[in-house]
Amino acid sequence: MLRLLRTAACAAAILPAALVPAAQAKEFSWAVTTDPQTMDPHAVNSTPVLGFLNNVYEGLVRRGKDMSIEPALATGWEPIGEGEGWRFFLREGVTFQDGSTFDAEDVVFSYERASSPESDTASWFAPVSDVVRVDDYTVDFLTHSPNPIFPDSIANWMIMDSGWAEANAATRPDKESGNFATLNANGTGAFRVTTREPGLRTVLEPFADWWGEPEHNITRAEMTPIQNPATALAALLSGDVDMINPVPIQDVQRLQGNPDVQVVQGIEARVMMLGFPHQAEALKYSAETEGNPFADARVRKAVAHAINVPAILRTIMRGNAEPVNQLVSSAMRGYSEALADAPAYDPEAAKALLAEAGYPDGFSFGLKCSNNRYLNDEAVCQAVTAMLAQVGLKATLDAMPVQNYWPELRAGNYDMYLLGWSPGTFDAEHPIRFLAATPNEEKKLGSWNFGGYSNARVDELLPKIQSEIDEPTRQGMLDEVAQVLQDETAYVPLYVQPLVWGTGSNVTLTQRPDNFFILRWVSVN
Amino acid sequence: MLAYIIRRVAQSALVLLIVGLVAFAMFRFVGDPIDNMLGQERTAEDIERLRGQLGLDQPFVVQYYRFLENAVQGNFGVSYRQGRPVIDILMERAPATLELAAVSGILAIIFGIALGVFTAIKRNGITANLIMSGSLIGVSLPTFLIGILLIYLFSVELGWLPSFGRGEVVDLGGWSTGFLTASGLKALILPSITLGLYQMTLIMRLVRSEMLEVLRQDYIRFARARGLRDRTVHFRHALKNTMVPVITVIGLQVGAIIAFAIITETVFQWPGVGLLFINAIQFVDIPVMAAYLMLISVMFVGINLIVDILYFFIDPRLRVDRKGGH
Repeated sequence: MLRLLRTAACAAAILPAALVPAAQAKEFSWAVTTDPQTMDPHAVNSTPVLGFLNNVYEGLVRRGKDMSIEPALATGWEPIGEGEGWRFFLREGVTFQDGSTFDAEDVVFSYERASSPESDTASWFAPVSDVVRVDDYTVDFLTHSPNPIFPDSIANWMIMDSGWAEANAATRPDKESGNFATLNANGTGAFRVTTREPGLRTVLEPFADWWGEPEHNITRAEMTPIQNPATALAALLSGDVDMINPVPIQDVQRLQGNPDVQVVQGIEARVMMLGFPHQAEALKYSAETEGNPFADARVRKAVAHAINVPAILRTIMRGNAEPVNQLVSSAMRGYSEALADAPAYDPEAAKALLAEAGYPDGFSFGLKCSNNRYLNDEAVCQAVTAMLAQVGLKATLDAMPVQNYWPELRAGNYDMYLLGWSPGTFDAEHPIRFLAATPNEEKKLGSWNFGGYSNARVDELLPKIQSEIDEPTRQGMLDEVAQVLQDETAYVPLYVQPLVWGTGSNVTLTQRPDNFFILRWVSVN
Repeated sequence: MLAYIIRRVAQSALVLLIVGLVAFAMFRFVGDPIDNMLGQERTAEDIERLRGQLGLDQPFVVQYYRFLENAVQGNFGVSYRQGRPVIDILMERAPATLELAAVSGILAIIFGIALGVFTAIKRNGITANLIMSGSLIGVSLPTFLIGILLIYLFSVELGWLPSFGRGEVVDLGGWSTGFLTASGLKALILPSITLGLYQMTLIMRLVRSEMLEVLRQDYIRFARARGLRDRTVHFRHALKNTMVPVITVIGLQVGAIIAFAIITETVFQWPGVGLLFINAIQFVDIPVMAAYLMLISVMFVGINLIVDILYFFIDPRLRVDRKGGH
């Protein structure tokens, strides 16, 4: 009896191995710091969610390896008339992972779902007045005003099957109490979710009927959240996972010396900057200073000259980041080439500017900083504090977890603050809308402009930039805004945050500046 | 006696209520969940709307009252982060913590008692002295460091054991167990050593000192004089009499093992309730934090209540006191 059982067990063990040639079975596992909160592509607008779901769901357009827009579920698109909107031609023969067919109805449904008040992605569709199904494979997006960047702005808008959503009572996202789409996914993408255990693991397998040509050789992929950086590093070094994101900056050098692993470095789209209380009557954290010195552009310029960004990057970022002088990095659309040079590190010039503004001996103030939001954020603020002290600007640093940080900034409890901004549209218009436009609740402008920076010319140019179809004219206006922001030192841009991934040495992949991990570009050798 | 128990239960309930009140008063200092729940493109209006929906604009006493009102009906709310009922999430995560705690506890008891007896009997031997000095590590090194050291030694350098997680688990009607697979058992080794080391050294040192005390007693000398074998003297007579305080301490440590699993779970990415709690703090997931804290306090209060009631049976003086009054 026992022998019989053993024989049966052996046969069972050999069978699958015989059916699947060992050389082809490529299992891949990777660790992330934040587990995606939901599998619903319209519920939460955050990098962990959208980045992960990009492997499962697809949009009409998608971003390529160089961030350029390329056809996905739409094969082509063209403007309608004189900028009345955009017409999208849909790909035929595409099926969802549950087998149902993709057509215009799903696009209209996904628009309604993603632009509903329950959705976190509704603002993407603010320029849209109506979506019209022309035929089964043609859809018109009508816009309030000409919108040149509309196709770019919906690269993360993913299409859900209307029939599947209705059958499972998930026609609207439900962030507060969740629904079927929170735990299950049904996209058209290259991978389908086979197991979803929130906070524990998520298993993906290639979708056999995907319309595209697979570039990967993965047969099964598993994502595990590992919050502790030391544990993640150990998991990579021991080969328990094939990839981690991010690698702690201080461990980069050590990993580079290890032949079993490799470090994949690049820069993220996120620009780190210092912000000021433009509208404040007085400083909050200064006993002796009258009024608000930061309302004076010369003082803000002095701050820019006083900070030695290359030194910060060399020491704290170990040379993994690059300085920046605008609210977007050079990789973004609409970056102003002419204004590429950052203000030189020049403490003497800073002192002269302070003297000119009436603060020859400097003044004291409070610097607010997060300590768990950006790479080495607190260390950067400490360096900034030390550098400012050399020109007489005596900052008191108050670093706190991000959960407490945003409420403090909203309440105006700062004299200077650290902010990182990653433009969701990968276009220079994005930070102007959120950081430079005069705050206006009704028009949804300047919602992250904590200091209330306001410039009439910027406010005048923004709507024109948003609706200008002609590329050189648009760039001219973006250049002008960038010039104004630089002349007035509305913010002090510091550097572009680095992106550091670690992988096993047998893995090849493509890293994109939006920090999305695209599984279909991964090969395990 | 019934009156005594009722009084103890009432006192326990009061303690629970106060723990909850303190917890809710503290949540505001953990931070604001709103920014985590809304994306980059939120407006001030969205913030206010969500705050109202979640009841975060209310004073903490009102929030606490609402939590209690729902909790007594068995509804612990919905996680802000996962959008799923908290009770489901806790049930999903509890087996991982309980299995880890059980294994660590058993390891701590077996090795603690065995080493305690050994070091007491051979108290001048080299091995015993080495064990005693080694046990200082267990008492003094932080759990976090022990965990990381074990991972580097056994996962990264030697490659014997997994560096994180629970391995493959088998679902037995809602209870996911790691006991039935090889990878599940392997995954248990490092975390349970990390978690149980402190308890093991504690039990070992306690057994040793109790044992030394007992071995000096007259009845042990008489036992030896009777010509009994060492083995009988040590285990039947000496060890048995050291066990009373040891069992009390073990009982109290059961709660500690479950509650202090937080650090071990974080280091090993062990998917239990402790890790869930840490993640909840980072996200300011108030319903999960509240439910976890209440669960842990119910557990501690429950254990203490049982101990108190047991004393009542063990210690006749308590009974006399109640009857006689003061």
